[in-house]
Amino acid sequence: MATLEQTIRTVPRRRRRSSAAGRQLTAGPFTYIVLILVTVISVFPLYYTMVIGSHTNSEMAKSPPPFSVNTSLFDNMREALKQQPLFRDILNSIFVSGMITLGTVAFCTLSGFAFAKLRFRGNKILFGLTLGTTLIPPQLGVIPLYMYMAKLGWIHHLQAVILPNLVSAFGVFFMRQYLVNAMPTELLEAGWVDGASTFRIFRTIVLPIARPAMAVLAMLTFLFAWNDFFWPLLVLNSHNATVQVGLAGLGQGYIPQQNIIMAGTMLCTFPLLVVFVVLGKQIVGGIMQGAVKG
Amino acid sequence: MTAVREAHAGVLAGTVGHPRKRRPRYALIGSKAAYLYVAPFFVVFAIFGLYPLLYTGWISLHDVSLLNINKMTWVGFHNYTSLWTNHFFLNALTNTITIGIISAVPQLLMALGIAHLLNYRMKGSIAFRIAMLMPYATSVVATTLIFGELYSRDFGFVNWFLHFFGVEPINWVNAPKWQSQLAVASIVIWRWTGYNALIYLAGMQAIPHELYEAAAIDGANRWQQFRKITIPSLRPTILFTVVVSTIGSMQMFAEPYLFGSGTNGGGNGQYQTLTLYLYQQGWQYNHLGFAAAVAWTMLVVCLVLVIINAMLTNARGRRG
Amino acid sequence: MFMTSRRARMAIGVAAVAAMAVAGCSSKSKTSAPASSSPAGSSSPAASASGSASAAWDCGDNGQKITLKIGLFGNFAYKTAGLYDKYQQLCPNITIQEDDIEQSGDYWNKLKTNLAAGSGLDDIQAIEVGFVAQVTANYADKFVDFNTVPNAAQIKSTFYPWKWQMATSTDGKTVGLGTDAGPEAMCFRQDLLKAAGLPNDRNTLAQQWSTWDGFINFGKQYKQKTGKAFIDSVNSIFNAAVYQGNEAYDNAQGKPDVENSDGVKKAWQLAVQAAQAGITAKINQWTKDWNQSFASGTFATISCPAWMLAYITSQAGDAGKGKWDVTSLPGGAANWGGSWLGVPKGGPHEKAAIALATWLTAPAQQLTMWTSQHFWPSSQAAAQDPSVKTATSDYFNNAPIGEIFGNSAANLKMPPIGPYDTDIQTALDTELGNVEQQGKNPQQAWNDALAKIKQVTGS
Repeated sequence: MATLEQTIRTVPRRRRRSSAAGRQLTAGPFTYIVLILVTVISVFPLYYTMVIGSHTNSEMAKSPPPFSVNTSLFDNMREALKQQPLFRDILNSIFVSGMITLGTVAFCTLSGFAFAKLRFRGNKILFGLTLGTTLIPPQLGVIPLYMYMAKLGWIHHLQAVILPNLVSAFGVFFMRQYLVNAMPTELLEAGWVDGASTFRIFRTIVLPIARPAMAVLAMLTFLFAWNDFFWPLLVLNSHNATVQVGLAGLGQGYIPQQNIIMAGTMLCTFPLLVVFVVLGKQIVGGIMQGAVKG
Repeated sequence: MTAVREAHAGVLAGTVGHPRKRRPRYALIGSKAAYLYVAPFFVVFAIFGLYPLLYTGWISLHDVSLLNINKMTWVGFHNYTSLWTNHFFLNALTNTITIGIISAVPQLLMALGIAHLLNYRMKGSIAFRIAMLMPYATSVVATTLIFGELYSRDFGFVNWFLHFFGVEPINWVNAPKWQSQLAVASIVIWRWTGYNALIYLAGMQAIPHELYEAAAIDGANRWQQFRKITIPSLRPTILFTVVVSTIGSMQMFAEPYLFGSGTNGGGNGQYQTLTLYLYQQGWQYNHLGFAAAVAWTMLVVCLVLVIINAMLTNARGRRG
Repeated sequence: MFMTSRRARMAIGVAAVAAMAVAGCSSKSKTSAPASSSPAGSSSPAASASGSASAAWDCGDNGQKITLKIGLFGNFAYKTAGLYDKYQQLCPNITIQEDDIEQSGDYWNKLKTNLAAGSGLDDIQAIEVGFVAQVTANYADKFVDFNTVPNAAQIKSTFYPWKWQMATSTDGKTVGLGTDAGPEAMCFRQDLLKAAGLPNDRNTLAQQWSTWDGFINFGKQYKQKTGKAFIDSVNSIFNAAVYQGNEAYDNAQGKPDVENSDGVKKAWQLAVQAAQAGITAKINQWTKDWNQSFASGTFATISCPAWMLAYITSQAGDAGKGKWDVTSLPGGAANWGGSWLGVPKGGPHEKAAIALATWLTAPAQQLTMWTSQHFWPSSQAAAQDPSVKTATSDYFNNAPIGEIFGNSAANLKMPPIGPYDTDIQTALDTELGNVEQQGKNPQQAWNDALAKIKQVTGS
């Protein structure tokens, strides 16, 4: 039964070892066929986005529907950008998700460390409280939250999205679980005996050890913030949107046209997909590490 | 949806990993500083997480209009009593459950099968994994818009495909309930199956190969190995993903909202989920107090799910 | 029927603007240009109908340089029509800055929170018919009452009385000055009717279609001969006919009164009749499928307020030129859509904002908006200008649009409006869609609609 910390360290190694030893069963043709089919189903809707996004309105209204990429892609993208400034929305999203990621990783590492390694009154109760709330959908608190934001005059401002998401109970839990085992208590005590301040201990001893888990948490948080829709929809509008709100606005615009919407969807989705493919190996590893259990 | 999914992915990582929880050994250093470490988290958490959650309960006992948020009129439990006889609420509750089931069950079964296949030694395994994770990298909003196109009645790909089987064009956004719900569920299935497959795969890779070798010596074939070794070893993961999916569907919003492009969730409310209903009541009809009652009820439902979650984990712990 | 609040709002009124959002500001403006009428004297009208003297215009700026922010949704096209430039010549101290939000639903969400919070308001805020009753019911105190501004009586006299009335609260406060209106007509594909061997002359049709029953019967013939849908949607019939009653969704007190409304009853019955006759294309308005079908000729008719002309032009494109035509609406005149400009009280430039709102909605400027953008004036002074009355459209087969919409505007019945109209309409439209598309039992649909309306009104 692997702990999180062991898994993060050992998953790649184990994989290497097992295949080298030839213990893993080798895939037959059936496996390949099924996996190729799954791959096609996974990718086809994305390809089809491009197909529709590259046709004019009347070219699409045909049977059979078009299957190949056409020439109107850039015209449609330009039209989508006229209807909704998606580039600004993407920048907004990068800013919002970045701030949320920074805040979450920082705050959660700090308190994850405290819960894992420091003895203090209320440690267990506070941690239990944190743990309990990971299972409650945060959107159940949106009504008072919305009323706050309205009273503060923050509706339609980005900070209304950033602030409530700055912390994550899950993040605290995640960091604690990692540090409990990854961080040798003796090392901390040695530092303490040497007279280093707690903050210095954190900076010089804890942070380097916590780094792999912080990276995984950062990736998960960024993806979550980037995809978040419900709360941003409540407090923002297409005038100052995140990419999801802007895209939804385009989809429900005055004159919803499939080709324009698909072209806009491409603009908002494909850059991320490229990053995803380039960093694919690391991301796959990160998600599997974040998820591993025995 | 994402948040909880990922939260649970992490919970799996932690608790399920060790049924007998190892007690942490605390460092004997500056306990006062500990408060400084946890303070930033708890200050923000209390203001933006805990307090709103509790205050929702207080608001739910009032009549509050979105048009005048400063005026709260006490109505006692009226919002709750009207809730349980409200057929729109009950419809949303049922829909949430049925969509949850028809999206989670096929999704998790397929994920399991795919993970099993991915666990073979093969060429291009990383490429397969990346390809299967691409739906996950596509946002819910984008995914729903894309599927809205695929499901378009007159010019959509799905109806065109079905016509080879003699199926008349289906108006998916306003079809009989099961058809519309299936369409909505397919959005969830497409987006999450690959992700779950990877989670299962990670679990499978942690199963010691010695178990399979021993079984092979005993004459078990591949299918028997899958059933007798893989599935039982993955049981905690599977139980969790089931519960996680259920909680995920409690929060389902973007898919039904953008698929039918509206808060009704279909002409007959075929796929109006609880969150969609909450949004409609609060932000379209301006009934914030009533929406708070909906939220608080959802909270109770979620807590029930958490308890089930804990019980399942315990049951499994005892058996282990 | 899946109109969101935003789409429904748009459908009701903003559409004026909505239509222009594409036609006016997008690349499609080129294709929509031919839709413009060719008014007799396109250079003169502004001057001839001028209701506000330009000689001694009080800009309300007290000689200081100020910037006025004007909050709009969609595209009011003031910039395109050159009105800002013109005003800045008149008042060199004033800079006008648009705070434009694409969707009226978003716009209203923002406006209502700002009104509730009392902050973040622009100097001028546009108000549309979908939420004007919410404003008069809840926020009349937060807007300047245009009955109390200088020259109030003179200003009031230029508008249609019903336009003024709709923006007036029960205690007599008028929260905004009317921009445009949406008198309705019936747009039809004369080429498709001809191909079906049916009359396609707009005068003949006006007679055959003088009642909705006649219209529906005609549709049955069309369906029989071609096998194709006659009208786009049940919404097209319902949303037009509902405003032909003495009451639409509300009683004279502005309280929702769907069950007793003659307009709703009649419109519902007609829509059901059309749905059961199978003459509709079973498409919900303002959806992607609907937009695509303009180009493919799926249907032959659609009821069209003045602002819909630009919408049709942009959706059907150059290929539709000369194929579309316009005739009068069956069952009498009706209005669909329109907006106002309001001035929030206590802003830093209240006086200058009143002056600008007054100027933008004055007859001369409304006339400019008609010639430039086809917005039907809510100013009766402007509407009576000869250049409006004689306007024709070459895109719409040279139909005398000035005369057709003018007749509709002159004979409008204006049923009372209420704060829940948009959502009530959505509920009814949705259930009609179910009758149309799923063959749902009309009585069941009616009951379900009433239940849904109760959800909206909370009673």
